[in-house]
Amino acid sequence: MPAILALLILPLLATALAAWSRSERLGHRVTLLGGIAHLAASLYCLLARHDPFPAGSWLAVDPLGAFFLVILSHTFVLVVLYAPGFLRRMEAPEYARSRRLFYPALNFYLLANTLVLIVQQFALLWVVMELTTFSLVPLMYFYRTKESLEAVWKYLFLVSVGLVFLFVGILFLGVSAHGVVDYAAFVVSRMTEAAPRLNPLWLKASFIFALVGLSAKIGLAPMHPGDIDATSNAPSPIAALMAGSLRGTAVLALLRFYQVVAPTGVRPFADRMLIIAGFLSMAVAAIYMWRSRNFKRMLAYSSVEHLGIIALGIGIGGVALFGALLHLLFNSFGKIALFFMAGNIHHRYGSCEIDRITGLTRRLPWSGFVWGFAFFYIVGTPPFGIFFSELYLLLGMIRGADWLPLTLLLALLMVIFIGMGRAAMRMLQSPDPAPQSIPASGERFELSHALSLYALAISAPLAILQPAVLFDALRGIVASFGGNP
Amino acid sequence: MINALTILFCLTLIYLAVTTRLSAYVLVLVLQGVLVAGVHTLAFFHDLAWSHVAVAAGVLIVRTGLIPAYIVKIMRDLDMRHGDGTRRYHPGFLIEMAAVIVGAFVLSHQLSRFAPVNVIPLGAAIAGMAAGGLLIVRRRLLLAHVVGFLIIENGLFLLGLGVRAEMPWTIELAGFLDLFVLVFLMGIAINQLKTHFPEGGSDELTGLRE
Repeated sequence: MPAILALLILPLLATALAAWSRSERLGHRVTLLGGIAHLAASLYCLLARHDPFPAGSWLAVDPLGAFFLVILSHTFVLVVLYAPGFLRRMEAPEYARSRRLFYPALNFYLLANTLVLIVQQFALLWVVMELTTFSLVPLMYFYRTKESLEAVWKYLFLVSVGLVFLFVGILFLGVSAHGVVDYAAFVVSRMTEAAPRLNPLWLKASFIFALVGLSAKIGLAPMHPGDIDATSNAPSPIAALMAGSLRGTAVLALLRFYQVVAPTGVRPFADRMLIIAGFLSMAVAAIYMWRSRNFKRMLAYSSVEHLGIIALGIGIGGVALFGALLHLLFNSFGKIALFFMAGNIHHRYGSCEIDRITGLTRRLPWSGFVWGFAFFYIVGTPPFGIFFSELYLLLGMIRGADWLPLTLLLALLMVIFIGMGRAAMRMLQSPDPAPQSIPASGERFELSHALSLYALAISAPLAILQPAVLFDALRGIVASFGGNP
Repeated sequence: MINALTILFCLTLIYLAVTTRLSAYVLVLVLQGVLVAGVHTLAFFHDLAWSHVAVAAGVLIVRTGLIPAYIVKIMRDLDMRHGDGTRRYHPGFLIEMAAVIVGAFVLSHQLSRFAPVNVIPLGAAIAGMAAGGLLIVRRRLLLAHVVGFLIIENGLFLLGLGVRAEMPWTIELAGFLDLFVLVFLMGIAINQLKTHFPEGGSDELTGLRE
């Protein structure tokens, strides 16, 4: 009961309280308390393998869902801690309405994403996926500019079309279970048990439509454009939330389909589709990172790259799937830091154009330092966590003797490293003078820097020490997919 | 009789291809709503599943009544009662639409070799979904894109009958939820768009580039 309270009821109450209250401070405190309670409950469910819901119900916290709940909660708490600093910069009258909606929308976002992670019934899963889209709209439209409206429109439209595809996928999944599983048992566990008896043709069609549909939300190519515009035009804390948790939520929805497909003869086909989607996403990211003149768009393409890596890991399976799950966790840490610093840089320079950000280490020493640190983190430099998760992925490819995909992966990673590095280093060390309005120095160490450094630093001990409580849970998840981590 | 109604559904898609008036698009939505409701009503008499009645009633109220009325309201608010900005009829769109419909029925026939499906409703469903997508791609007006999306959803409602799914009514209702909330949100977006993009065309959505 306490876990259900923290996971569902508190975010709901926090949404209502934040909406009713006119005090931003109260809204922040309620949101933060709710987020911390949510994080504690998520950690408890993961580490103690505790499911607070009755067996066989449409809601359940299985180990896979618990892991994603921890990623969601952790990202959420950090964003809420960052939020007051961000809102202090947005005191102009045109942002008044957006500020009033900020904390209620944030709590609703947490509730909607939590529902996706714990729902086990496929039809209900689709409904709550829609809710996550709607929960983001007021947050993405914070600036109320022409550009943000365009981004909201494109995101809403593309994701909605994607969710229609997902709907078709769920429909076909139901058709594949015709005569095998009845409606009352259209839940993940029962479908997985009955999987070998499902119609393979409809199961294949179901997975394809689910993959295409969810690609728009995950941010996989070619359904990524709406996501890129939305992420790059959203306020930095919201972009961090999207990059750190929303995509993970959509990955879990895809994994629910994969759980049904895994014990069947359709699995090799599904794996091929995931590998193709992964490489396509990395290729698109590699190309557009070189072309991008806007550092927030560059970070958005970095998300496309990393989700491509995750799709690749799921498709390869075994130790690569283990790496993919770790990559989800560590990618969320890195994106938090990058987007928090992107917000600082954007605020101080008044622009997101890479060419206009010069001498970052001199102008904003702390933000520049963390930005550089975060760049090395996200490109997979040891001893950061992403290095280890990519290593597991490579190990999976070596074990499977997948030499061509391995070579292609390494080549793409190199291209992305150089492309992103060019932009990051230019921002940090370009000698061109910055606009006169930017002071040469004087940036103080702020909470945003502390949060970012924490997010970056925590991955190394996790990856190196490999705490048994977390890593055993991940190994158990991989084993449930029939893999050997 | 179900087959006759689904063929009529395809004819509305042909009409969609030859008109450029927004009011005609709304009429197509109303017609398709009536046809989809009719299909589900007939399906009820076939298998006596009450979910069909719920769907038919919901389609009549929501798709034939509320949604077209809401779109007309938006058109009035945006001051675009008749024109949609495309101004000219292009015969190429009709040829594309015809090809889509033919292709959908060919695909449906091919699928029938591998699985027990209702060929004509399935073909109409695929045609509806593809036609909605074609409308989105070919028409520049954002409201036309909304109509295209709604036509895709109409095709979705036929898809369940086409694949002979004993569809749990929750899924059908989930479709309504999606539709209602989506149109609501799009209405909000369109009203906001009026402020920033007065022409209401997709060629104005070009501010975000690499």
